[in-house]
Amino acid sequence: MNSSIYLHLPIMIALISLVYSATRFDGWGNILHEAFRWGLRMLGFLCGIAVVLYVLSLFI
Amino acid sequence: MLSYLIPGLGQIYQGKIGKGLLFLVCLYGMFFYGMSLGSWKNVYLPDTARDKNLNPWNLPAPLANGYNRLHFAGQFWIGVAAWPAIYQYWTVDREHKNGVVGSFERTPSEEDLNRLQREGDKSWDLGWVYTVIAGVLNILVIYDAYAGPALAEAERMRLTPQESTTA
Repeated sequence: MNSSIYLHLPIMIALISLVYSATRFDGWGNILHEAFRWGLRMLGFLCGIAVVLYVLSLFI
Repeated sequence: MLSYLIPGLGQIYQGKIGKGLLFLVCLYGMFFYGMSLGSWKNVYLPDTARDKNLNPWNLPAPLANGYNRLHFAGQFWIGVAAWPAIYQYWTVDREHKNGVVGSFERTPSEEDLNRLQREGDKSWDLGWVYTVIAGVLNILVIYDAYAGPALAEAERMRLTPQESTTA
């Protein structure tokens, strides 16, 4: 499988967190701050899933 | 309503130009980039209700077609950009007429779909994920245009703590 497909992940995380945060606040400072927080949360969540899948793959 | 038609248009109408443009660029960017990843053949509503294998419970046509193409339930919310698929569904797919939008958002043939998924990499799947996410995010944008930002009160308190304590 072409690994360049994973390059889409940071783009998608950035766009989703930015749009989501902009629906929660009006001020740009709050929007960017919330977007950064949500971006980190999503990245952490996805990395957690990746680790779980990797560990599972070691036993299967 | 305006934000449903075109993402961010409601916010632009309300004078929140920057936010409106952010929604417009991000959501249309995601939607059309997703379409391009899927060779412009991943936004469509197929007429599958008459196929007994695809409609085993004899559901009404709109329900059965929506059930067989749940992606479109998410894509629909992007607004005008998804309307050609509905137009194709009503004119070309059901009445077998030639539509004015050509083959844009027309249901691809089974051969086309098989070829795209067999010969391509995973970008076909990634493409429809982009389009569905753009559509679903626009529901939040519509809500923002209708009722304001979800945490507006918290934002106001954070910006003017003196006012909030004296009120």
